[in-house]
This record gives sequence, structure tokens and C-alpha cells, in this order.
Amino acid sequence: MSRTYWRSLAQLEDNPESRAFLEREFPEGASEPAEGITRREMITLLGASMSIAGLAGCDIVRRPVENIVPYVNAPEDLVPGIPRYYATTMPFGRSNYGLIVESHEGRPTKIEGNPAHPSTLGASSSRIQASVLGLYDPDRSQVVRLKGEQKSWADFVTAWAELSKAHAADSGAGLAILSESFSSPTLARLTTEFRARYPKATWATYEAVSDENRLAGLKSATGRDLDLMLKIDQASVILALDADPLLSDPEMVRHARGFAAGRRAGASGGVMNRLYVVEGVFSLTGSMADHRLRLESRQIAAFLAALAARIASPGAGSGAAIPGVDPRWIDAVAKDLQANRGKGLIVAGDRQPAAVHAAVCALNESLGNTGKTVSYFETKDAALPSVSSLASLVSAMKGGTVQTLVVLGGNPVFDAPADLDFAAAIAKVPHSIVLGHAIDETSSKAEWHVPRAHYLESWGDARALGGTLSIVQPLILPLFGGKTSVEVLGLIVADKDRPGYDIVRDTWKPILGEAEFDKKWNRVLHDGLLAGSELPEVAPGVKGDAVASLAGASGSADGLEIVFVPSPSLHDGRFANDGWLQELPDPLTKLTWDNPALVSPKTAASLGLATEDLIRVESSGRSLELPVSVLPGMSDGVVAVTLGYGRSLAGRIGSGVGFDAFKLRSSGAPGFASGAKVTKAGRRYSLSATQEHGSMEGRPIVRESTLTELRSKPEATEPAAGAEPGAGAHAENSSPAPKEGGGTPSALGVFPEHTPHYSLWNPHAYDRGHQWGMTIDLNSCIGCNACMTACQSENNIPVVGKDQVKRGREMHWIRVDRYFSGDPEGNPEVVYQPVPCMHCEDAPCEQVCPVAATVHDGEGLNVMVYNRCIGTRYCSNNCPYKVRRFNFYNFTKDKPESLKLAMNPDVTVRSRGVMEKCTYCTQRITRVKIDAKLAGREIKDGDVKTACQQACPASAIEFGDIRDASSRVAKAKADPRNYALLEELNTKPRTTYLAKVRNPNPEMEGIA
Amino acid sequence: MAQIFPPWWNKLPLAAAIVGGIVPVLAVAGVWYFFSPWYTDVGYQPVQPVPYSHKLHVGELGLDCRYCHASVEISSVANIPPTQTCMNCHQLVKRDSEVLAPIRDSAASGRPMRWIRVHELPDYAYFTHRSHVTAGIGCVTCHGRIDEMVTVTQMAPLSMGWCLECHRNPSPNRRPVSEVTNMKWTPPRDPQVRLAQLEHERPVNPPTDCSGCHR
Repeated sequence: MSRTYWRSLAQLEDNPESRAFLEREFPEGASEPAEGITRREMITLLGASMSIAGLAGCDIVRRPVENIVPYVNAPEDLVPGIPRYYATTMPFGRSNYGLIVESHEGRPTKIEGNPAHPSTLGASSSRIQASVLGLYDPDRSQVVRLKGEQKSWADFVTAWAELSKAHAADSGAGLAILSESFSSPTLARLTTEFRARYPKATWATYEAVSDENRLAGLKSATGRDLDLMLKIDQASVILALDADPLLSDPEMVRHARGFAAGRRAGASGGVMNRLYVVEGVFSLTGSMADHRLRLESRQIAAFLAALAARIASPGAGSGAAIPGVDPRWIDAVAKDLQANRGKGLIVAGDRQPAAVHAAVCALNESLGNTGKTVSYFETKDAALPSVSSLASLVSAMKGGTVQTLVVLGGNPVFDAPADLDFAAAIAKVPHSIVLGHAIDETSSKAEWHVPRAHYLESWGDARALGGTLSIVQPLILPLFGGKTSVEVLGLIVADKDRPGYDIVRDTWKPILGEAEFDKKWNRVLHDGLLAGSELPEVAPGVKGDAVASLAGASGSADGLEIVFVPSPSLHDGRFANDGWLQELPDPLTKLTWDNPALVSPKTAASLGLATEDLIRVESSGRSLELPVSVLPGMSDGVVAVTLGYGRSLAGRIGSGVGFDAFKLRSSGAPGFASGAKVTKAGRRYSLSATQEHGSMEGRPIVRESTLTELRSKPEATEPAAGAEPGAGAHAENSSPAPKEGGGTPSALGVFPEHTPHYSLWNPHAYDRGHQWGMTIDLNSCIGCNACMTACQSENNIPVVGKDQVKRGREMHWIRVDRYFSGDPEGNPEVVYQPVPCMHCEDAPCEQVCPVAATVHDGEGLNVMVYNRCIGTRYCSNNCPYKVRRFNFYNFTKDKPESLKLAMNPDVTVRSRGVMEKCTYCTQRITRVKIDAKLAGREIKDGDVKTACQQACPASAIEFGDIRDASSRVAKAKADPRNYALLEELNTKPRTTYLAKVRNPNPEMEGIA
Repeated sequence: MAQIFPPWWNKLPLAAAIVGGIVPVLAVAGVWYFFSPWYTDVGYQPVQPVPYSHKLHVGELGLDCRYCHASVEISSVANIPPTQTCMNCHQLVKRDSEVLAPIRDSAASGRPMRWIRVHELPDYAYFTHRSHVTAGIGCVTCHGRIDEMVTVTQMAPLSMGWCLECHRNPSPNRRPVSEVTNMKWTPPRDPQVRLAQLEHERPVNPPTDCSGCHR
């Protein structure tokens, strides 16, 4: 099957705008000089700088005086110039990520996953990577405030002493705490103590994006509060119902590891998992599906009922028909799940009602999947999210019974359901105390505001999913004097101002035992987890007929369905002031800095909408004006709005970016609602996407095949010609060619084998020392963008803003291209392709640089010499992969001081007028080389890890010495799926790709 | 009517040729030298907040470089010592010296000293002391006779060309690692002896690629 790939609807329609865009070498504006400076002004500026040079005389040549400021008393073990690594934990709702953080002279700069911790397994996500920027956010609040006036923490402690006297008198009847959900032994202990001291107090836990429905479903099915862990690596058949375990789910790192392992296993001869996805909003998980069914969120319950009926009695009638769904699709899925008992997995999304989760639990149980692909744990040390607890708190606040409200983190004024009107409620509370990172929507309405410490400044602890205990260890003292929720709650419980360190250690004394406590405590700090602290799995013991209750779960199906989607970058808005995440393109729409409503092409046509139209969305009596973007693969009749944008008080980055979809969300329907109305506002709104930039003009850029095709081609499994560097293009061309010549073209064999190329250039001899190379496995890659943020953090890549992105000037050294194929009005398939610099052995950029600012080194790296670059941009013109990035401005010049602390000291900060691009993390290579040389040993495979490789949750990237035949990268290059991008150009790239393999169900051929 | 062109005009072509030939050469030579680190950087001798004399401490008292610059063998930077290191001796020696007042103030107040950097590389060049010191490049090779300096002065241009000279042929500058901090070491006259001395040291292959020093 020959596929046509397209990057956007505009390209597919071949409209004149899109053509013009593609035919330009660079997007409009990208190659023109900055606006706003006329020729006359330019000459004035030039003249001015000349005269300054003249005034300064010869001293201008002498660099400015620089100081060296040593310690007064050097800390033990801290050697300037040698980074140190500490284990810590990042709490994120009830999920907790075990991390290793790199610290340069006491300032944390780079975050990696902790290989020993089950939640990250050494990988990370873009949010984890970007959280280091949150630490240095200059817009974080820096002082305690009383009604906006500056106060000190001591003032607050005194004020609390007054308040607590009153509340102690009536057992806390007028006292209420609103907390985020958490999973932490110390916070849980303090909660218990709080309840004991103030038995009449109210405790509410709210999380705008939560797994509350799942907890409720499991409770109704089993009668217990259970946590659920997906073991995707154990699953052969996965059915995701309106779920996005690979991106939106807080446990996405673990899920991606498991999913990619299953994909890789298949490509190398083992069992490949098969992913079925039923969903209305095109999710990242949906884009990975082997079979995807577009179905509105409100129909999922009906689908599940039909599936359950088939599983219960195979071969029986097809049950109630679901409009628009081919019953054979459900039959085939049911059959596949049954054929893989104990190896199947059904997972439902967080926005689905509790009944769906209960039924999924029962179905997994009846298919024998429990304990194998899905495990359950008692929730422990946790505050479980509950919208109803918030609702009753709000009514108490409005009723005037709450005298003192303590908000322990979170931003309820922004993200609480719109019908509760939290802002009005908090205004009625006489004493409100808000612990928050910034003077945000909630803090600005509080009586007392206490700045909150970042997790990298906090002492705390955490229990990860599955029970593993770890400690939140600070890497730096609070930069802005923040306090942690442990400290604030500790003060409330005991009326004593104690450091978080002491409170956490108090909790851990019974856990570790008093004997040799310090030794054990240090071991936990060092390892980043307490070994053996996992909770035992429990058998859920499903009670009653959970499937039968599905019938009532299907809501009305009138009108458009509005679906609320958490932002893959900003989550519920808490990361809104993080520039890296704002500029991170959405995996599917590739949009930055915005959250348009998403509709399918058919829905857009029926409503008369086009991308960038402003629309008015009305749902349950509230309305919101926002732009629309047409996304193929969306279910017809669905309009998806992304939460987390439209913050009014986020800070200088996030305020006023996007549109606040929380305004449409009610407590009754936090996931999706029927009966939405969409009208055209008649105006347009400009969106900035990285979508079309550098389109590849329909050449075989991504390659894919199916498992059947891969297995049916014996020659395809033969080892390809060696990937010996410098051996010529024909040796590099190791993608299997159709030997039968013109036989059935498969995706793997459809591309012509290139006849040997003859080079105009003298071949380089890359036959000595290390020869670095990279492979990117498109079969593992899930397109989650973790590599992009990791690269940004490692390599000091600037954020350029929406306007510059619109001009195609984004600076990411690695981008993730997204290609659609198939019917845009139906169910298009997606391939993601991360594209960093290819480090071509015959690099076109090098041939055209007039100043030799980009040259090759002896180890095969295409290096960029910033101090030579004069900014002609010829290299970028001549780069077939369009991976070079030009500094149109000095993007780091106006960087706030605190953000400079996040910079990697081992990487040059580039100035205006300089070209830059992926370096294969040359600073990491150099460090390992020097370490090995001084230790008198050879570099082992795996010693050098690039930032993207280390972060990748799917382990899609391999990097190493391609001369070493036993290295992982050399083995990957010997895979028959290995191919070079645009190899017909004879650039001999060092970065190559492994083709994607799909695993469709042969029985579902022809079933849409 | 007077002559329009006086007779000395006849010499003009010759003068023009001489000036035209010499001025550009002087200009090029002038820029070559006066804009180069040989002129701009060598001899830089800033006044430090405390007139610490290497001549006294190293040359006369015989302190080893690594007593203060302790991280030179393990880190990319040869650290400037913390105030505490000065106070190790000066809480007993020269306790009332006026020039040492800033040191005592720093130790008492906890405010760090602000020394002025003498040897400064551009930000895009990443130099590593540990590789050089462990490869047998003596301190004196780049820093000059520190033991004779009352005020530290930059002796080498630290320009890229100067770096590369040695990177292309490091042997003349190598010495046994044990002699790295020895300011007075001279290579043995016999090349065979010299070779034998270096035989036990680790092999060096300094990078000459851009990526060796620029990241």
C-alpha cells in the first residue's frame, strides 16, 4: 500500500497559501531583517557604535574586568567545576517522580529520571524536564503578604497563633482546609493529626484534572479505595477507551516505557502489542493506535456494554447497535481480547464516568488480566481528589460558616468548576490563607498569602504509585523564602514553626526504625527511594454486576459534545508561566502558545468553520470565545477545548496566553458535556504552529510497514550491509530493497534502492577513534516531546515567543515532525519523526560556509563554531533537513537574572546573528572522554548519553560509537528497518531512522 | 604666469609608490600585532584587593601550587582558595597586617573576597585544567614563573593559535607529572633521557578539532 503523507490539511488541499509557504526556502519573515529599523536608523546606529568604539580607544580590545568570588568557607566535597548529582522526588498530584538532579555549584540545572525509581525508570517527560525552569521563575512570589501588604513569615506565625486559639475553642468548626491531592506519608500524618486536633474542621481535596472517576468506579466495583497500575509491557492487546495513558496520564513515563518495549519486541521477532483506541478527541495514544475508532466520549459506555456482551457470550447477537460503529469492529476487538486472556488490557480515560471504570475493572477481571497486565493497590498516605468535597466546602463558605480557609497549594479560583464560583465564595471568608507559588488568581484574593517553595527547595516525602517511598530532597535553599505545605500544615497542626526537615524526619523515624536511623535515612536520600517499600498487590474482588450499571451511564446524545482536555504541556494551568512548555508544540496540532478548540474537518464544514476562525462555544449556560483549529481524526460532532490556558495572573510568560476553558466547565460534567453550541464570531485569530515549517515535499521521509509484511519478507530480516562509517552511501543504504524488483510494494521495500553514489568530495576517513552515531526508532517513538524539552534544558536553547514561532524562528534543536496519512475526514494514521541535526558525513552546510564556521571533527560530529559564524545563513539554506536555527535576536539578553541560574555552564550561550544546531551533546561526550582518559579506561557503550536519549521515555533514541560493532547503536543500524533520511542526496547522515511497524489485526481488514 | 605644477611634483609617483606600499603593510602589521592577545593580554597585571605575593609564598616560602589551587588535578577550574585557606596561616602569622585586613574582614563577616581574574578565556572556549596537569603540562608553561611574580601577570597570549601550537605538538612542553608544579624544572639535555621520563606517563593526544574546546 503506497501512502501519501501530509503534514496539514492545507497541504493536502494544496491551497495557494500552503504552496507559497512550502515553496519559500524559509517561512515568510524568517529570512527578512527585523522590522522597525529603517535604513536611516541603521546608519545612525552604525555611526553611534563606531564612535563608541573610538571613544573607548584601545581599551575596547581589552575585555572587561571579571571577578572571581571564591567561598569564604568552602563546603566539604564541593569542587568548583564538577557537577554533583542528588536524588529527589517531584510530586505531581498523587504521582511522584523519582529524579536525579544535576547541580552546578549549588544550583540545580538539569533533571533526569532516577533509573532505580519505578515511576521514571531513568526517563522523564517534558514537564519533569521543564520543572527546573519553574524553580527560577522570577514571577514567583517572594514575600508573605497580608491583603497585598508585605509581611514576614514571623508575622504570619503570630497571626496564626491568634486564629488557632479561636478554632481550638470550638474544635475547628469554622476552620477549613482545601488541599491538592497528594500521596505523602508526612502530609498524611499531619492530616490525621489535624483531624484529631480539629475534629469539626472541614477538609476538602480538589484537583482540576484528576482520576476521581476511576477511584469512584473502583470503589463501586470493589468497595475499596484502590489505585490502579497499568503494566503495559506485559500486555499483548491493549484497548484504550477515551484514555491517553501515553501522554496526559501522570504515569505516562512508565506507560511509554512499557508500550515502546512491546513495540520493539515485535519488531525484533517477539510478540508485538496491538493497540485499539476508541476515542472522540484525537489523543497521542490514539495516534499510536493500530486500530482507532472515532467515537464521542458519551458513547464510550454504550461501546463498553456492547463489548462486554460479546465477551460474556461470544458468538451471541451483536447486541444494541451503536450509531456509526461497525459491529464487526467490536466483534474483532472482543475476539482479540479473549484470545489473549491474561495478556490483554482495557483502560478507560479519567473523564469517563465511574460506571465505565467499574465495568472496565470487572472486564479485566473476567479476562484474567488482573495481576498480570493491571494491578491494584490500596491507596495509602493519600488525599484523594473529590469535587463533591469542594462543592460542600464552597457552600459552607457561601453560607458563612467558614471563618478561616487554608488553601494548601492549588489555584481554585482559576480551575474550580465554574458553577461553584469559588472567587465569590472566598470573598465571604473572613480569614483566607493561601499557600501559592505566585500572586495568582487565588492568592490575589486571599487575606494572607504565603509564598510556596518549589519542590527543588523543599523537604518532603512521597509514595509513588505501587507504594515506593522516597524523599523530596531540596537542592537549594528557598530562593524566595518559600514555605512548603508540610511546614504550613505543620504549623497549623502543632502551632509550632518547625523546619520541614524535622517534620519529615519525625515521620520517617517509625518507618525506618530508631536504630541507626541516620544511616538508613542517608541511604534513602542517596538511593532516592526506600528499597522494599512497595505495597502488596491486592485482588480487587469485583462485587455485583458492574457491567449492568453501564446502561445508566450513557448520557443524552443531543447536539455537539464538548470535551475538556488537560493541556499536554500546562496540565491544569500550573505550568503556564514556563516558557519551555508554552513553546512546546502540541504533539498533534503542533500549535504553540495557544489552545484553540479542536473540531473534525466534517464538523468544521457543517458549521462553516475554518482554522483560525474565532468561535463562541456555549455549554450549560456559559460561553467562551476562542479560536478554532481543524484537526483530522477528531470525532465528528465533538468540540474539544484544552484546559490550563487563559491564566490572568500567571506571570509575564503565561498571563493572557490562550483562552480559559475552565469557564465552561461545571462540577456536574468535568469531563464532557452534551448540547454544546458553536457559533462563528465572525473574526479571525492568528495561531502559531510549527506545523508546516520545513515540509519535506512528499519524499520518503518516514517509512513504515506492518508486522505481517516485515515477517513475510525473509530477506528483510537479513543483516544489512555494515554501517561502517565512511564506507560510502551504498553501504549506508541498508533499508531492504525489494529483491523481486517491482513486486508488491510494501512500505519497507517501496523505496527505490539507490544506485551507488559518487561523491564530488574527497571522502573523509572516519576510521579512527570513536565515531559517534545515532538511531531514532520511529517504531518506539510516541511523539511526546520529552526530547525537545530535555535538549532545551541541556543546551541553553532560548524561548522566542509566539510571534517569532509564527515566522518560523523557533529554536528547538530537535523537533518532532508529525505526518498524517490516510483519509483526513476519516481516521488518519500518524507517524512522529524526531529530527535533530543528522551530522552528515558529507554535510552540505559545510560546503557553503564562507568562514568555515561549521566543520567536521575527527569523530564524525558536524560542529558549529559560534565565534566564527558571521550569520550568512547559507548553511541553513543548504541543509536538506532544515535543522539549523538562527538567532535573529539576542534572545538571552533580557533574561531575568534568576533564569540565568538555570543555564548549563558547559554550553556556550549564543548571541544574535549566530547559527546553532544539535551538537550531539558534545559537552557530554567531552566530559566522558576526559573522565575516561584520566581514569585510564576505555569509553564503554552507554557512557555517553545525549540529553534527548536520556530523557526519552520510549527509549527510541540510541547513541554511541558506530565503529564498535557491539554497541547498541551499531546493532540498531544493522537492523533491516534502518534507513537514512533523504539518502539519495548522499549526505551520509550519522543519524538514521528505524522504520515504524504497525500491527493491524488481519481480521479487521476493510472494517473502518 | 607661474607654473601650475612645481618641479617637486615630479617626485610624486615615487612618493605615492613608497607610501602606497608601506602604509598598508604597516596597517596590516599594526592590526596583526596591536589587536592580538600578544599586545592586548600579555602583561595584564590588575591590582588585587590584597597584594598577595606569589614570589613570597611560592618562591621564598615554597608553598606548592596545589595547597591553594586544590582542584587543579580533578576539576576544569583551578580554584581560587576560599578565605579559610588564607586564614589557616594568617590567624597565626601576620595577624595585624594592614594589607590582610580584607581577608580578616571576609572571614569575620562571611562576605567572599572579590579577586580580579587575570587569565581569562572567552566564554565559548572550554579549558580544562585537569586534562593538562595530568598530561604533564607544567603550571609554568602557561602561567610563567609565578614564583617570581609579586603581582600575577599574564605571560602567555592564551590565543587560539598559541593553544594549537602545543596541541599539534605537545612533546616539547611535557614533563613528568611529578614535576608539574615545579617552577624551576628544566628538561634533561639528552633527548633519550627525556623520552624515557615521559614513557611512564599516560599517552596524550590533544584534540585539534573545534569540538575539543568549543561547545
